[in-house]
Amino acid sequence: MAEEFNAEGMLDMYLFENEQLLEQLQEMVLDQKDSECFDEDSINEIFRTMHTIKGSSGIMMFDNITAISHKLEDVFFYLRESHPDNVPHLELVEHVLTVEDFISGEMEKIRNGESPDGEPAEIIAELDKFLEKIKSGAVKEGEEAPAPVPQNVHVEPKHFYIAPVASSASRFYKIYITFYPDTEMANVHAYKTVYALKEIAEDLLYSPEDIISDPESAQVIIKDGFRILLQSQSNEEEIRKLIGVGYDIEAVDVFECRAEEFLQGFDFGEHELKIDLESSVEDIEAKVKAALDESKEEEKAPPEKPKMAPGDFVIKSKEPGKKKQLAKDKPKGEKASFISVNVSKMDQLMDLIGELVISESVVLQNPDLKVPGLNLANFNKAAAQMAKISTDLQNVIMSMRMVPLTNIFQKMNRIVFDVSRKLGKDIDFEMIGEHTEVDKNIIEHISDPLMHLVRNAVDHGIETKEEREESGKPDKGKVTLSARTEAGKVWISVADNGKGLDREKILAKARKQDLLAEGKPESAYSDKEVFQFITLPGFSTNEQVTEYSGRGVGMDVVVQNIQAIGGVLDIESETGFGTTMSLKIPLTLAIIDGIVMETGNSSFVMETGVIKEFFSVKEEMMIHEPNGEEYVMIRGECYPVIRLGKWYGMEDYRTSVEEGMMLILEVENRTICLFVDKLIGKQEIVVKPIPSYIKKVKGLSGCTQLGDGSIALILDPGGLVE
Amino acid sequence: MEETNELRKQADDSRNGSDERDAQKGKYMTFKSGNEYFGLKIQYVNEIIGFQAITAIPETEDYIKGLINLRGKIIPVIDVRLRFRQEPFEYNDRTCIIVINVKSTIVGLIVEKIAEVVEIKEENILPPPSIGRADKVQNKYVYGIGKVGDSVKLLLDPDKLLNDADMSVIEQANEMVIDEE
Repeated sequence: MAEEFNAEGMLDMYLFENEQLLEQLQEMVLDQKDSECFDEDSINEIFRTMHTIKGSSGIMMFDNITAISHKLEDVFFYLRESHPDNVPHLELVEHVLTVEDFISGEMEKIRNGESPDGEPAEIIAELDKFLEKIKSGAVKEGEEAPAPVPQNVHVEPKHFYIAPVASSASRFYKIYITFYPDTEMANVHAYKTVYALKEIAEDLLYSPEDIISDPESAQVIIKDGFRILLQSQSNEEEIRKLIGVGYDIEAVDVFECRAEEFLQGFDFGEHELKIDLESSVEDIEAKVKAALDESKEEEKAPPEKPKMAPGDFVIKSKEPGKKKQLAKDKPKGEKASFISVNVSKMDQLMDLIGELVISESVVLQNPDLKVPGLNLANFNKAAAQMAKISTDLQNVIMSMRMVPLTNIFQKMNRIVFDVSRKLGKDIDFEMIGEHTEVDKNIIEHISDPLMHLVRNAVDHGIETKEEREESGKPDKGKVTLSARTEAGKVWISVADNGKGLDREKILAKARKQDLLAEGKPESAYSDKEVFQFITLPGFSTNEQVTEYSGRGVGMDVVVQNIQAIGGVLDIESETGFGTTMSLKIPLTLAIIDGIVMETGNSSFVMETGVIKEFFSVKEEMMIHEPNGEEYVMIRGECYPVIRLGKWYGMEDYRTSVEEGMMLILEVENRTICLFVDKLIGKQEIVVKPIPSYIKKVKGLSGCTQLGDGSIALILDPGGLVE
Repeated sequence: MEETNELRKQADDSRNGSDERDAQKGKYMTFKSGNEYFGLKIQYVNEIIGFQAITAIPETEDYIKGLINLRGKIIPVIDVRLRFRQEPFEYNDRTCIIVINVKSTIVGLIVEKIAEVVEIKEENILPPPSIGRADKVQNKYVYGIGKVGDSVKLLLDPDKLLNDADMSVIEQANEMVIDEE
């Protein structure tokens, strides 16, 4: 029964949980940023989130996080209870996001082993002002308006964790347990009861609170009884059964109360219930009433003081200062849902599974099995089963490493929101393909570059309202963030419908900086080449340096970061119509559906997506140009042909088109034909990078291990087209 | 193969624990390539594996033979003889691949024959002669000549072996990438 107090684990869990909560919060807030106001569910959800964060931060003694989440919770409590209809929604959204930023920032400090020392006073003051504003604007709702209580609650955060899920079917109980006066260690018995009740509790409060660490509490329990307030789905009988009547318990009284009563006691009033440990239950109730009465006088109290929020039940214990978390059970079913695993262990597991697959094929295709006359029916059955399991195993380990881009996209959503608000631009933000899954390592690397691109799009790309009106565009700017996988790569594009890049301006600047090659006329530069200038260090055409961009750092950093992971930045732009920046990133460890083929003595793999069809061609369909180029005529269309064997200068490849196989590929809006010796089959493949020791080979994007352990090279159709 | 196993064991043993660092000092893995015996500092050697199927990569230098699958890890292999501009040789049962790790780059070296692990004392290592040899190309990989009894081992600088001339190739490759953009 001794509590395992593993501070390290708790901290990790705290950070992990809160991070999740904040992400959900942000997603929800941004989701509704354009609507009139938050809907009922969101308000409740934000309220609950803040409450949970406040509770856990209180336990961890991060006072500033506690204070600020508390304040936001207050705001949402007011919204929830009073339904004011004149809330400036965007302002509210900003407040929520500010608080979220603050908490995220503090958590980052905690994660880095620093102490969370951010000063929330300013934000709290802002929130207070905001709360005052919506209150004064709202219909006077007298009693319902939350009243600050001038108690310095946060010096000793004693919040109990409250399970966030409360279904309407729950019932509310007040339980009084009286122990025999001669019971030894009544506190331990009391804890046993609490422990039993946690199983069914949705909400559980008890007094005295400090029953584990404070042996004194035993006397208090014997003298005054042990009091529990319980919210649960269970009925009285079940509760009694759980508590059980042992030799030590003299009497158990379970009173069911109505939800209103329950709330009245602990929710409605928003009062700190100061309960002297010596007082009886009747006294507590009396105090609740007294506190309620007092609240009206306290209406004008200075708002800086954090006040009680619903759900908090603060018991002033005899020994303040001892932090204890007794009822910090998470909602059932979520426990141990996540563990964090060292990535290197995952890599190891992955390698092992690779080996397993290989040895599996060694066993299953063992030459010994080829002996004629063997009865292999049972063997084959067992082998099939084993193959199935190992495939599943592979899929699981792969999926463990893959993370959807959702979070990073949400972050971008946030940036667009912030920057556009600050710049006074009205911008639609669209996300496409945010569920595209990318290897975790990649995600970490693209976050910053993407952020730059999105900021640039909002800041440079989209014009101001006035400019847009002048050029006769619909007045809303639009930024589209999209992700897709193509040709074994992830393409993440940031497109805006703004003014586009100005070729002349860039060229002029390049001339000024002596970047143009001598003897090359400006007209000889293709648009793509010109646009690449902006990725050079110190190159910014934005005349004005703004808070967000224009310092000339950015694009070069973007390119550097992208190149570091073997990616490429592609810029397309049409003056007056917008710019599209595309990141083309290899999926280092992604699984792609591939077609395995053979040319010469080598195996190659091509992503299934780009292959339109396979075609057996006849010699007369071929068109030969005198310079050696070849075309093939299929159904009246003429496509260029690449012979893979010739392309790579291999030996022993099939030269007659009738013996081999023609693959019709559609890459980057072009159609080409690829001629290979033969097709082997379709397979899910794990893309692995070609070791960096080997120089980049055009048309190859990686390699993979086939089922038999041999290595196949992955063809990059984009490279073949160039 | 017994010999190889023995050596493999030695290599493994000597990589265990830092207290055995000293034991590694001055020890060299020697192998035969052409008529010469070469030595590599044992700390660079990860393991020795038997010859296995190599997947060729097009458009690379001839001495880069391709990729092998080392327990799920894909590593490049180079032919030491071709690297030294010597005549190519037929791979057979005695052909071994020495897996070395130089500054986190893992590369397999195909060698004709593994010899032994020898200890060469500092005073028995001479600087390479600067003139007098026809194939000067070789000299830049050799940082010293170790005397073991009557025989002589050419001591290789693995970093140069892998990267020296290749560096420019990689730079070229990088430039190529930039051009493509």
